[in-house]
Amino acid sequence: MRLSKHTLTRLEGEVKLKLFWSAGKVKDAYVAVPHFRGFERILVDRPLLDATVITPRVCGICGHAHLRATVEAIEDAFKRGGYNTLLTNKAKLMRDITLMLEIIQNHIKWFYLYLMPDIVRLDPKLEDKFTPVKGSRWREGLRASNYATKALATLAGQWPHNSYIVPGGVTSDPTDSDIVSVESLVNRIIEFFKNYVVNLDIDSYLGLKGKEILDVVGGDLGDFFKVCRDRGLDSIGKSYKRFLTGGYIEPCVMNGVKTKRTCKFDIARVYEADAYSFFSANGKGYSWAKAARYNGMPFETGPIARQVISKNPRVTSLFKVLEDSVLVRVFARVDEILTLSLSILEKLKKIDLSEDSWIESGIDMDKFSGAGVGVVEAARGTLIHKLAVEGGRIKSYDIITPTVWNLGPRDDVYLGVVEKALIGLDSEPFAYIVLRSFDVCSVCTSH
Amino acid sequence: MSARKQTLVWLQGLTCCGNTQSFLCAEDHLMDEFLDKVEILYHPLLNDEEDPEYIISDILKTNKKIGVFVLEGAVNLNDKLADDIKKLCILSDYVIALGNCAVHGNIPALKDTNVVGLQYRRTTKGGLLGADFKTRSGYPVINISGCPAHPEWFISTVLSIVSGKLPALDKFGRPKEFYAYSSHDGCIRNQYYEWRVEAEVLGRKEGCLFYRFGCRGPMTGASCNRKLWNGISSKQRSGQPCFGCTEFDFPRENMWRTKYNMGVPAELPPGVSLRGYIMASGILKTFTPNRLKKRLFDEAE
Repeated sequence: MRLSKHTLTRLEGEVKLKLFWSAGKVKDAYVAVPHFRGFERILVDRPLLDATVITPRVCGICGHAHLRATVEAIEDAFKRGGYNTLLTNKAKLMRDITLMLEIIQNHIKWFYLYLMPDIVRLDPKLEDKFTPVKGSRWREGLRASNYATKALATLAGQWPHNSYIVPGGVTSDPTDSDIVSVESLVNRIIEFFKNYVVNLDIDSYLGLKGKEILDVVGGDLGDFFKVCRDRGLDSIGKSYKRFLTGGYIEPCVMNGVKTKRTCKFDIARVYEADAYSFFSANGKGYSWAKAARYNGMPFETGPIARQVISKNPRVTSLFKVLEDSVLVRVFARVDEILTLSLSILEKLKKIDLSEDSWIESGIDMDKFSGAGVGVVEAARGTLIHKLAVEGGRIKSYDIITPTVWNLGPRDDVYLGVVEKALIGLDSEPFAYIVLRSFDVCSVCTSH
Repeated sequence: MSARKQTLVWLQGLTCCGNTQSFLCAEDHLMDEFLDKVEILYHPLLNDEEDPEYIISDILKTNKKIGVFVLEGAVNLNDKLADDIKKLCILSDYVIALGNCAVHGNIPALKDTNVVGLQYRRTTKGGLLGADFKTRSGYPVINISGCPAHPEWFISTVLSIVSGKLPALDKFGRPKEFYAYSSHDGCIRNQYYEWRVEAEVLGRKEGCLFYRFGCRGPMTGASCNRKLWNGISSKQRSGQPCFGCTEFDFPRENMWRTKYNMGVPAELPPGVSLRGYIMASGILKTFTPNRLKKRLFDEAE
């Protein structure tokens, strides 16, 4: 068997890929993340609230999701200890809006800055548009992603790395003009989606279903679809077709676990296996990621999981035809740019600025002991923080990131989700694109 | 304009990618100018190579000269990458440590003594390159600290180098232009600070966060309230205390709380004496303007 080694960049951090080839096809695949920083250790013994400053630093592109997961874990610990955290509607809406804005900026950047430069290799005619730095659409995509980051900073102070979500609410107290500003920025994203991403008016786009989507959508997504159909990306990259979404963003992201049917997500069924990570002393380790399992099995998380479970009509109908191929995985992610933007506009209308942003809990933070779990949806899927605190100080902290679900190593029975998707491919560029289609975040994976 | 572009190599060590993400958030005109005047030989997110490692190994093999070398992230001394980074620094006219991890190790260095920044480890000078390191052009490492660093601090520094106006540096090797200011300068809660009106709760426009919620603004070198984040806001403007993330002791302990000794904040802004603080407080509290005691949107008398 021939072995080929690759380093994948244009993502958060880097990923090492080892492919074993036999008769021109990938026979086995190892995906490893090389760097380790040790966040879970760093948090131990710190005062509880320090976690709200430290955990966002796990990841430069989804740090806001980490912040929210931390705060929800703390609030869960309070609740289990008999202190129910009161949140105003305003605080809830703002938390959802800023989380969604972070997901949106990620998806725009991912499509234009990370994915399309790979696609250019399959169709050099697209070079003028998507070559990094020089491409016209590369620059437009970056500009559009910053409508989202600016909107996020309007409410949360800055992006990346703010700590504006706190147990009991949020720290900021926006004015009407701030809300108008956020709304105008979100409208710019929708306009960008219409003019550049799909080149189609929004109502027509929303009504599309199944294969019709591939025929009607134009713009940059249309360019991608064309390459997919010419080169067969609509049939490769399939994995387990088992989807998991733990977080919930009303009304566009429902939580659930889908195998043949969709069931309720139950955090107690989540388990981390470390037999093939460096955390295990058995010598089999090849990655700093552990392997997340639900009911003992690997599950895929992320936009395709979210949108299939949430019954998004466009994603569901295309999934029925083309399953969890590269094409559908990418489409689900790009569709979220619009789906979430529209939902933000609705939420902005519901904010009552006269409500409090923060309600003090009255809990003595120096004495508090307990344990809690926070589950949120980050750009790449379900993010879980678990913590235990004793006498106000963190006793243990455990983070399961979305990429751990998708990119984590094998166990003795199952390959990792991405590893499974790579088996059987017949070229290296395809292997890159399949791996890329999961929106890999190496820094989150190893933290 | 056909001026030769400044070449730039950007590498990542132990990082969250936050400084790349922050850089990508730069205001349009700055980003356009940067992309116009700088030739990026390598950046892990902006490269277009099938074999990105080749670019770096080629530079190292041929001793290719680099204009500006940028490191994002901390360095683990046991990693082979540490040698490569050292060599790249030697090949460069200017070296920029971007963000607190590259500057002094930051979070990854907290529990691992093998993790360092380019010229510091935490508050101790030395780091990967040693205390006396100078680049080919005779310049020390330019430290653009911050977790993350503000995109304009970085881009303006590179554009200054491009135009031959070298930045004046403070004792930590940071451009004075950005770090001589404190993050308190320009804070819209300044009046509350002056008159000792504390924010009693979070989530409001009123009150200074220095007195209860641990704001490090007056003790932190950073122009966050002069060059706003994402062109629009800052921590304090959105009701968060400054956590001092540009300083060499970040992250400190108990970051949401102000520590008090005998009723006085345990740490006072640089140059403020305990006696002066106590005397001034008495007067200021007695004469606090009514406007500052009310909610901002309530009509003042």
